[in-house]
Amino acid sequence: MNKDHFKRLITVLGLGVLAILLVSVMIGRYPQPPWMPFGLLKTDPLARQLVLNLRLPRILVAFLLGVVLSAAGTVLQMIFRNPLVEPGFLGVSQGAAFGAAASILWFHNHPLIIELSATFFGLLALAASYFISTRIRYGGWVLRLILSGVAVSALFSAGVGILKYIADPLTQLPEITFWMLGGLYSVTWKDLLYVLPFALIGIGTVLAMRWRINLLSLNDDTAFSLGASITRERLILLVTIISAAAALTAISGVIGWVGLIVPHLSRRIFGASAEKSLPAAMLMGGGFTVLADDLARTLLPGEIPLGILTSAIGAGLFIYLMVSMGLKVRRDG
Amino acid sequence: MDKILALEGVHFQYSKEDPLVLENLSLQIPSGKVTAILGPNGTGKTTLLHLLLGLLKPTQGRVTVAGEPHKSYSKQTLSQMIGLVPQFETVPFNFSVFEFVLLGRSPYLKPFQLPGDEDLLITSRAIDQAGIGKLEGKPVNEISGGERQLVNIARALAQQTRILLLDEPTAHLDLENQSRILSLLKRMSRSGLTGVLTTHDPSAAIFAADHFVLMDKGNIAAQGGLDEVITPENLSTIYRTPIRVEKTNGYTMVVMENHP
Repeated sequence: MNKDHFKRLITVLGLGVLAILLVSVMIGRYPQPPWMPFGLLKTDPLARQLVLNLRLPRILVAFLLGVVLSAAGTVLQMIFRNPLVEPGFLGVSQGAAFGAAASILWFHNHPLIIELSATFFGLLALAASYFISTRIRYGGWVLRLILSGVAVSALFSAGVGILKYIADPLTQLPEITFWMLGGLYSVTWKDLLYVLPFALIGIGTVLAMRWRINLLSLNDDTAFSLGASITRERLILLVTIISAAAALTAISGVIGWVGLIVPHLSRRIFGASAEKSLPAAMLMGGGFTVLADDLARTLLPGEIPLGILTSAIGAGLFIYLMVSMGLKVRRDG
Repeated sequence: MDKILALEGVHFQYSKEDPLVLENLSLQIPSGKVTAILGPNGTGKTTLLHLLLGLLKPTQGRVTVAGEPHKSYSKQTLSQMIGLVPQFETVPFNFSVFEFVLLGRSPYLKPFQLPGDEDLLITSRAIDQAGIGKLEGKPVNEISGGERQLVNIARALAQQTRILLLDEPTAHLDLENQSRILSLLKRMSRSGLTGVLTTHDPSAAIFAADHFVLMDKGNIAAQGGLDEVITPENLSTIYRTPIRVEKTNGYTMVVMENHP
């Protein structure tokens, strides 16, 4: 794909996503599903309140969530040289889930405390995966991190199981379960402000290093010979984008499949180079998550958990891509 | 003879519990020539190449580039001096040939920098020089093994280094592709490049190299010019099978005899 073709395509994509964002403000169940007439904003103070204080922060957080999960997916898939990796990898999602459940159970069920606890345990899982991998004495960097990530993930998921087992079935268990299904129903401007620094640092760093990510997807000896400080550069990318993903996961709960499927779609359209496929995946992920959240809050009188919708749509797309041979996984890769 | 790369008394083991891969190895690589490191499989050739690259550090002894140890250069400077064509390179993502060769420009770019017009120009030139212009837009995972090796060399050309290390560049290739790759290497060396290739195939070494290093079990069995090193005695000893060396019309040929 040449430069001009890319510019045209990414502009169209950007405008499309912008349109989704604008339209989403008017989508919802007030006054009647699925659409609020634009004129109502002038006459109905409740409609204004609703748009300004509920829908707008929620749409922006959904957008950031999609952008960050897709960016994290692209980065992880490339630096782990494995097209089937997603942000749940390295124990981050399970760590965050454990943090949220622990907070609901023991500390406080104030949303901010849950968020902080989830972010903390998400990052702790990343750090644990990394440090365990440095103590494994066989295999390359990728294999060691994958092994320790799987183990750390399993530990935290066992921890979540124990917490669910001892949780009060009437008060705490439903809250833990609903958080783990994922949703943006309680998002406020405060939540957005809290995740914004993490998100901006993560997005800024991976965008700035988008060409370099290609280099880090090569074998260690080749990347080294081309001047990459392999471990340091991979760590910078991992820490910044995983922190962003953990912070957003703390608000949204576990939102699966976006980080796996969107990078695949983007590579299919924009080619393998992250210089082009990363920004495209971020836009596509943002638009996709906002659309999924529109459905989550509009389809039924009660809210459908966003995580269920993204999983259903994502897994469906995944099957389609596999069957249509659009997704190629190399056996020796 | 100007020595651009040198090893002095190098011992190497991957960890304290592992056996020594290289033992008390001293070696000098002449500048502007092609050196072949020849030896049977599993004798430490790739380890030696990784030591020359600076990816591995010797357990004991000294490795130098232009008289200085690797650590006295910045990573960026080092990657502008030494390029690598690796033996196995799996690429899980299907970059186009052009995108892949363009990665050779990374030693000249900062981590946050994108390649500019000059980098694109140098990349196009490297692709032409390697004779793979018609492959430019093709995905790297959908070309033949020989073409793939030429793409790796084109990436090294885009890297514009004085030294190029090639790890078994002709393994698994047919004769036409072997000849394309080794001829390209010879042409590059005539314009001043120092090439170091490892191979287990004496014919490939004789075709491309000016200087020969015979390795056996982590040690150097012989080093020097063609006639000093490529002898029936040396080859028969390190390959543990009877080998004849014949000269016809100025060409040296290595012939296997029946294994006793």
